[in-house]
Amino acid sequence: MRLACVYVPQLALQAALRRSPEARESPSALLTIVGKNRPRVTELDSQARGAGVRPGMTAAQASATCPRLRLFTATAADAEAGAAALCDVGYAFAPRVERDGERIYFAADDLSRLYPQGEQAIAQAVQAHAARLGFGARVALASTKGSARVATRAHELAVVPADRPGARAFLAPLPVHFFTDDAELCAAFRRWGTRTAGAVAVLPTNAVALRLGPAGATVARLARGEDDEPFLPQLPPDALEEAVELDYPVYELEPLAFVLRGLCDRALERLAGRSLACAGLTLRLTLDPRGLDVREVPVAAPTREAKILVELARLDLARRPPEAAVVGVHLIALPARVRATQLDILRPSGPAPNRLAATLARLAALVGPENVGTPAAIDSWRAEAIAVAAYPTTGGSSSGSSGGTMTAQPGEEPGLCLRHRRPPEEIEVLMDRDGPAALRGAETTARILVAAGPYRLSGEWWRDAAEGGSWARDYWDVHASDGAVYRLHRDGRSGRFYLDGYYD
Amino acid sequence: MSVRALELVRDPEIAAEISAHLVSLERLSEERGRRATGLAALDELLGGGWPRAALSEISGRRSSGRTAVVRAALAAAISAGESTALVDVGGTLDAHAAMSTTVPNGPPLLWIRCGAAQALKAADLVVAAGGFGTVALDLCDARLRIPDAAWVRLRHAARAQGTTVLVASGARRLGAFAAAAVDLGGAPAFDTEGRPLFARLEVRAHRLRNGRMQAAQSRSSTDGEQLPCVSLAFTSRS
Repeated sequence: MRLACVYVPQLALQAALRRSPEARESPSALLTIVGKNRPRVTELDSQARGAGVRPGMTAAQASATCPRLRLFTATAADAEAGAAALCDVGYAFAPRVERDGERIYFAADDLSRLYPQGEQAIAQAVQAHAARLGFGARVALASTKGSARVATRAHELAVVPADRPGARAFLAPLPVHFFTDDAELCAAFRRWGTRTAGAVAVLPTNAVALRLGPAGATVARLARGEDDEPFLPQLPPDALEEAVELDYPVYELEPLAFVLRGLCDRALERLAGRSLACAGLTLRLTLDPRGLDVREVPVAAPTREAKILVELARLDLARRPPEAAVVGVHLIALPARVRATQLDILRPSGPAPNRLAATLARLAALVGPENVGTPAAIDSWRAEAIAVAAYPTTGGSSSGSSGGTMTAQPGEEPGLCLRHRRPPEEIEVLMDRDGPAALRGAETTARILVAAGPYRLSGEWWRDAAEGGSWARDYWDVHASDGAVYRLHRDGRSGRFYLDGYYD
Repeated sequence: MSVRALELVRDPEIAAEISAHLVSLERLSEERGRRATGLAALDELLGGGWPRAALSEISGRRSSGRTAVVRAALAAAISAGESTALVDVGGTLDAHAAMSTTVPNGPPLLWIRCGAAQALKAADLVVAAGGFGTVALDLCDARLRIPDAAWVRLRHAARAQGTTVLVASGARRLGAFAAAAVDLGGAPAFDTEGRPLFARLEVRAHRLRNGRMQAAQSRSSTDGEQLPCVSLAFTSRS
């Protein structure tokens, strides 16, 4: 089995840099709070190191040493999102991935079909994808986890030969400290005069194990290209998460939308790597000083456009603003596969599923998700009752859906339509002996020339008052002096009149 | 595919289905520029139907049959297997009329309920998505001023996607942006034997515009001659 290892050095710093990509150009360092002490530099990039910044410095010391230094504070949200994004580098190439700290491993056997140019091309593709997700990664391909791990320490890109002698020859010139993090062990090998893997490889394993214990034996085996560490991959999680902890509370919608844009961009980039789209959002807002605001943001159809997701979230936040200022945003994206559809040869081609999905999401963002779909019947005798069912985005047919279509039966006379007012508008009606004589509403004041009715309708007597209760109405179709034919009703309980709409 | 080629298809059911979908080249080229309105009289008035890849306007006051004409056009497009959309300002769609008949495996209607301010934007999005044969924009009760630029953009999208865009409104809004324009005027008819019963709406449809050539004819006819018109009737089913 060939394994690919992706190593992201200083993952915590790189995870923090994902939310500020512009800071990559300048020296940057990560501050971590340990206990009640002042935050200290724990991770730093090569530019900062070159400028004299060292781990253990306080923020003031580091800033004094390097005035251009960008300092980031380590947060749990960044660390989690960074670790998940690192796994997504692997899930873009393999269905299962094993994560071990700042490294991931995945099987790369099948990738040779996609990259016939060779394993170097595979490693380059993996590195390029990691860069798209905001990571500067080292990639190695090897037959064992240990060899791959050591190779990522030594090289930016490495392909360890598949055969054991070749792997041994590849590892031979590497220094011993690449094979273990144990400083005492490294010192012991140095005392013996074995500074490279080649020198360790010729030592008898039993003798090394006797003197340096199991850890020493492991190093000796690794140096010979032998490794029995098992590969334990895992499936990807059901949802994809991105989070950010804000430096100060956000009270207004626009700054929050700006934060959401970054989160959505990063989440969609990760989804795109797995050829997935976002089918739904969950926002978990951490409120100041305490409390959580959790909300579901429905997405009409899977989309890969951050603008649409931000717009939907913005609309939802505008409808129901958080009760307090926001100090943290946690975004959970529901992945969905955008499937190709076989079109019907004998029918006009409908909208392309991908474009339709994006359009539905944009429409939902514009008018609200509850207002986009296909009309569906409700089990009710109320004339104005109607529901909106989801519009199918796959295929051009409605088979099996509850959606309705509007067609005329062959040979049938076209029917009139009633333009409903939802909800019915309360109006004043002047009654005489023959029925309604005049009406006055918000937009209409007219005499009634002809009134047909009343038609009595009632129903839903089985419902509780909490559910709307039963209803009883007397309906009239009236020809008003303004030329329109209105439908109005008198509520049986209250005696009030309502305008249902007009025929058109 | 010729009749001779059809003979090679052994299965008579498949041959029948294929032949049902075959049309002559002459008829195809004739119909390519028009979409059926769903009303024979209106098809005749417009010379085959609503123009493709263009804006068309249906104007008239309340109870003049605008919604019924739009519904007939959408129904005809759905019967032809085309995807359709209705941008419904105020959400006035008659659910029972919409649900009364369905086409098994037919494309469903995309229904967008919105306010007047979002209507043009929504229509623009749907048309620009492509693949929709007919898109109806129902502005019958909307009170808003629409800038010419919005119509230009919508017309451009309709032309690019080959979509028939029907705009229904209380008064003429599109002017020269409409490739076809029909003005409706209706009068209700009541059965008066016994208690009055609303029976139908009798509508006169006047053709105001129909393509560039006929637009010029219409302009001249407004000076003195009468506009070409047909009668339509829509029955009440309530």
